[in-house]
Amino acid sequence: MTAEAPPAVAVDKSQDSAPRTGVRAWLSRHPLAAYAIRRFGLYLVELWGALTIAFFFFRLMPGDPVQTLIQTLQQNYVYNAQASTELIARYRHEFGLDGNLLTQYLVYMQKLILHGDLGPSLINYPTPAQTVILRSLPWTIGLLGISAVMAWIFGVIIGAIAGWRRGKLGSAIATNLSIALSHVPYFFVALILVYVFAYSMGLLPARSAYDSNINPGISFAFIGSVLKYGLLPGLSIVIIGTFSWILSTRMLMIPILGEDYLVYAEAKGLKNSRILTRYALRNCYLPQITAFGISLGFIFNGNVLVEQLFNYPGLGTTLVTAIQQLDFNTILGVTDIAIFSVLTAVLLLDLLLPLLDPRVKYWK
Amino acid sequence: MRLLTAVLRTIRNSRRLATGLIVLAVLILVALFSPLIVKAIGGGQDPIELAAYDKWQVPSPQHLLGTDQFGRDVLAMVVKALSVSLQIGAIAGVISTVAGVIVAFVAGYKGGWIDNVLSTFTGILLVIPTFPLLIALSAYAKNVSLFQVGVMISIFSWPFAAKTIRSQVLSLRTRPYVDLARVSKARDIEIIVTELLPNLLPFIGVGFASSALGAIFGLVGLEIIGLGPGGVIDLGQIIFNAIGTGALTLGAWPMFVVPIALLTLLFAALNMVNIGLEEVYNPRLRGVAGE
Repeated sequence: MTAEAPPAVAVDKSQDSAPRTGVRAWLSRHPLAAYAIRRFGLYLVELWGALTIAFFFFRLMPGDPVQTLIQTLQQNYVYNAQASTELIARYRHEFGLDGNLLTQYLVYMQKLILHGDLGPSLINYPTPAQTVILRSLPWTIGLLGISAVMAWIFGVIIGAIAGWRRGKLGSAIATNLSIALSHVPYFFVALILVYVFAYSMGLLPARSAYDSNINPGISFAFIGSVLKYGLLPGLSIVIIGTFSWILSTRMLMIPILGEDYLVYAEAKGLKNSRILTRYALRNCYLPQITAFGISLGFIFNGNVLVEQLFNYPGLGTTLVTAIQQLDFNTILGVTDIAIFSVLTAVLLLDLLLPLLDPRVKYWK
Repeated sequence: MRLLTAVLRTIRNSRRLATGLIVLAVLILVALFSPLIVKAIGGGQDPIELAAYDKWQVPSPQHLLGTDQFGRDVLAMVVKALSVSLQIGAIAGVISTVAGVIVAFVAGYKGGWIDNVLSTFTGILLVIPTFPLLIALSAYAKNVSLFQVGVMISIFSWPFAAKTIRSQVLSLRTRPYVDLARVSKARDIEIIVTELLPNLLPFIGVGFASSALGAIFGLVGLEIIGLGPGGVIDLGQIIFNAIGTGALTLGAWPMFVVPIALLTLLFAALNMVNIGLEEVYNPRLRGVAGE
């Protein structure tokens, strides 16, 4: 049952001969499918809930967005006439701000779901917010995704070894260092890295994502430049991330060490390294997969500041720029994209888990 | 009295918890006496006043950490800022712990659909990136006081406390002594206050420490992008100042290094209290976790 892939989410009711009992019977014969459907349903509820919370959160904030908007447009485009009622009405409509809150909500959700439309942006008017966001999304996914996964891998491996060899000096150093540093914000490390490598030694660039003299494209020069510019921001996330994973993996590892099957494996004469990788590590990396999904939102929070510090052209920088100009649609859009990415990643990890962990049997 | 000896015994048994609490106590003492310390540094005048001294002085016996771009004494600023940072941690920590405890008890004790709804809601807030919401909130709410910022930050930090405490309520709810209280017709509120709450204190402590940590982290983050509360200086703002004015290139490294070192110390101390409490009260980690 481990190798069976979860089938498509929608259960075709027509193929069942006896309608109600048929579906039930089919589901009880395919517990993984039942699990996948339940999990996907929860995903939809969470996604809807989170997007709704975000929408009302921004709309209920004090201040009239249209006034801000017209002011900004006047400043940006030297438009000095007093805004007429029609103009205001037109902007209200264009930015999805006419009608009462419920109408606005329905219109917004309809546009978002049917057309993927987030409305026009203000920082780059009249480019739609989704275009602005999509431009910066690859940078964040690249930087954040790679460094978060690397931190997880390093942290789980080192943490497992630290738990395995507890009482040894190296383990004690790793543990105490992790306790001291695992909750330090990423940007502290980023600041120190910038100070040492960029200002003092002048080795690595501290701003932007690639050398502006190189044309973006698929070339060795460009990719090399992206890697070089991404090294410092990425490193700051990897360092702190590794420390926090060390700590939690070690805490998962220690209770496992007393288990009978480890004693048995040792009595069988298995090599220590084999017991660690095949018996102990397998049992403590699985909960960490779920934990990885849950931590993504938190990592994104820290990443906003890291991007801001390095002037990295990702979602975080876009968000801060949008907030400085009170650009409603873009702020809400970035939040929505972040919510969507994190929830989807958690869903995929949860669906993957039964394939990795044969013990997990998801039926009621 | 019995409670006090129990607390002392717990602390004596965990070196980690003791270290964390001592560091925390020292920082709190410095914060409590910050008006006196600032006065002592000023020696009659206000050292944090604009143009109190010459600008950009390097560290010297008169100004141990030098002065900033307005001629303010950096040591005095750091001491004052430490107390502000601790205040925000305390305000937001208390609010989110109280909210978390209430939600956790209602959800964990009542169970059923109330628990489902509350847990899903808590879960959503835990998973989604809330920092954009916090930044946006403070961008709209200009000129807010320290207390209001604390309230704003706790909107996003209570779920952490709620989650930890709820899982403990679930396991305590089915204990025999709770059943005994229930058959002897004790009211729900009585059971919660007299039977459950005392047993949950360490976990409430963990919840408080982690939300205080999150709140200080949040405020520093807001200050780094220039959106903190007006009129007060916290440690994040000094760092923001140091970056913005290029203090590093002017040789004013203490403006940058000292706040970061202090905050790292504070984070480490809170984390040690957290892990120390967990090790003492989590039977699966007890004994094996010690170094």
